[in-house]
Amino acid sequence: MLSISRAAIAAWTVGAALICASAFSATSPQPAGAVASSADPAAASGVPFNAATSAEFRKGASTADHSRFRELDKEFKSGPEVTKACLSCHNEAARQVQHTKHWTWDVVNPENKKRLGKKNVINNYCTSPISNEKDCMACHVGYGWKDGNFDFSSEENVDCLVCHDTTATYRKLPGDAGHPVYERKEFPPHSGKFVEAADLKKIAQRIGKSGRSNCGACHFYGAGGDGTKHGDLSSALKKPGKYLDVHMNAEGLNFTCTKCHQTSGHQVAGSRYQLPAAEKGAAHIRGKADAAPEACQACHGNTPHSGRLSLLNDHTARVACQTCHIPEFARDPIGTEMSWDWSTATKMGPDGKPVVTKDSAGRRAFDTKKGTFVWDSYVIPEYVWFNGKFDYKAVGDKIDPAQVVKINRPEGSPAGDDSRIWPMKVHTGKQAYDKVNNTLIVAHTAGEDDTALWHNFDWVKAIGAGMKAAGLPFSGEYGFVSTEMRWPIAHMVAPKEDALNCIQCHSPDGRMKNIGGVYLPGRDAKPWFDWGAGVLSVLIFLGVLIHGGIRYISTRKGV
Amino acid sequence: MVKIIASFLLGAVSVTALLWHSASSLMFSERVSPFGVEETVARIQENMQNAGNGWSLSGLRNAAKPIQKDGGNVLPVLMVEGCSTRYSGPILKDDNLRFLSILMPCKVSVYKKNDGKVYIATMNAALIGRLFGAKVGGIMANVANDQAKFLEFDASKPAPKMIEGTPGAGGPGAGSGADGGC
Repeated sequence: MLSISRAAIAAWTVGAALICASAFSATSPQPAGAVASSADPAAASGVPFNAATSAEFRKGASTADHSRFRELDKEFKSGPEVTKACLSCHNEAARQVQHTKHWTWDVVNPENKKRLGKKNVINNYCTSPISNEKDCMACHVGYGWKDGNFDFSSEENVDCLVCHDTTATYRKLPGDAGHPVYERKEFPPHSGKFVEAADLKKIAQRIGKSGRSNCGACHFYGAGGDGTKHGDLSSALKKPGKYLDVHMNAEGLNFTCTKCHQTSGHQVAGSRYQLPAAEKGAAHIRGKADAAPEACQACHGNTPHSGRLSLLNDHTARVACQTCHIPEFARDPIGTEMSWDWSTATKMGPDGKPVVTKDSAGRRAFDTKKGTFVWDSYVIPEYVWFNGKFDYKAVGDKIDPAQVVKINRPEGSPAGDDSRIWPMKVHTGKQAYDKVNNTLIVAHTAGEDDTALWHNFDWVKAIGAGMKAAGLPFSGEYGFVSTEMRWPIAHMVAPKEDALNCIQCHSPDGRMKNIGGVYLPGRDAKPWFDWGAGVLSVLIFLGVLIHGGIRYISTRKGV
Repeated sequence: MVKIIASFLLGAVSVTALLWHSASSLMFSERVSPFGVEETVARIQENMQNAGNGWSLSGLRNAAKPIQKDGGNVLPVLMVEGCSTRYSGPILKDDNLRFLSILMPCKVSVYKKNDGKVYIATMNAALIGRLFGAKVGGIMANVANDQAKFLEFDASKPAPKMIEGTPGAGGPGAGSGADGGC
């Protein structure tokens, strides 16, 4: 009887344990990192996420094989012809694109109505696309923007292929006003290297979702070279290792750009002009409406650390995730440009001819057309309070040439809860300004006409043409002013083991040495507080000694 | 007598402590470079090639690369390796000294630290050489002189191109490897 009872109890215990185990395994919270992948259909269907299954899923996701469409089965002579064919089915696509920054290059700051966007702001790299459209529009999602008369309403001018080409053979070169290469062409000129003509039919029949190469064609090569502009974007991200980016790791999560920069109606989430700098709340599940899907918090929530690291969650109200998790940017030999000095442009070589030199790593160091460059890699960021907004210098804004001109000044302060400490790339430069009107100038640089700086090396003519195209006055007197531009760092997220450690910030000469408005233990000291704490510690120690001593003596005496 | 012994011991302990404390700075030296990592490396390589005395480049080692391949990050560390047949030959021909091949080739390490600055580290060849007798001491004193020349930079000269890889790397077997001087 007793043995039967024991067996029953044992069976009951095993059964209960199994039920508990299955219940807990179904309801236990997933680690933060798992949230993103759980949204992946492959993961949701129980298939372990990996690059292969993800690729198979993407391949199988489309319900249309474009190579079988009659509309695409013909020899296209131009990009607009392809677009016309695309629009015969995707009849809303062009209109959607025409409402995006990728098309308008025009953004209105909702707070002060100032016109921003590439068309209106000035930078300290190439400075401005105005009067240089034929070159700069190699990175416009359109065809034919060669001057101020571009037709922004023409749907056939929208370039579908630049974002949807999957063959990596569709190239748009400077000088063609956004058109692809229609005939085999030597590029760069006189280099002996040739770019083949785009096979538009083949490309149109193989279109697909935007991949890293599509976004990277412009965003990796901004300002005229690989890695030049952003600091956290370069061709190294086409197939990065885990060390460079844990999310985009080709052998791991293998995220494409649009995994975070989710797109709806061709509107791509995430922009320097509307940057979510201080998102709050728990992690979202992908697919749910989200104002800022590109923010770390969208997947990881604002309490991403668990266990013994949960103390770090106290930082998320003050410190952006990127600050600790992107300890250095440009973590690749490609590097990033740190300075562009236009004041040395037009300086000829010893033989009186234009000269180009490279630095020790093979990156551009000097070009008679453009001036002097300084590059670096594995760059320690600058840290600033940032609320996601910049105060930009637009074309025509007044400057004070006695000061270093802040091309874009990050806004934010420790006072509000809308700001976080963010990592930034600081790009310095010297660029031309009008000495009488105190405005940064727009110069006509690219082109083969007599006023183009890169053709005749005459600053006055180039500035005259550029300012005329921009509708701004030019006094005829120019000089060079020092400028600074800041770029928020958000890509190249390192493995968690490589995040900043405590002492890298909490020390007198640490990363946060220039951050004001907060008391930072380890960096800041209040002598009276330290002295008081010291005295208190001594008193506590004495108290323990006295208390312990009394007890010891009492015990010995048997009291 | 007790006082004398105590003083002697105190002196010995003090000197030992001092040596212990300063051993690393005696054996190795570190300085800040005025250039970026690649340019520093390139200028050292150029100086090494122009140093004469049989010096040639043996290779450029990137100690950060295996860590990257393993999925981790460290700030850049590049080691310029060079060797002089004039100095290595006599040591390698002497069976009693061949073990010193462990010190070859001569290395200059260039790396970045968390303060964003680029540093150069070298071994104190002269001091280490003296530990192995007069013959090695004399050779290593010459190495130290040349090593100092590797680090003399003329900023007015344009930056040379960094030489990557291992010059003269051969095929497999005992005869393989770089023949850059060693």
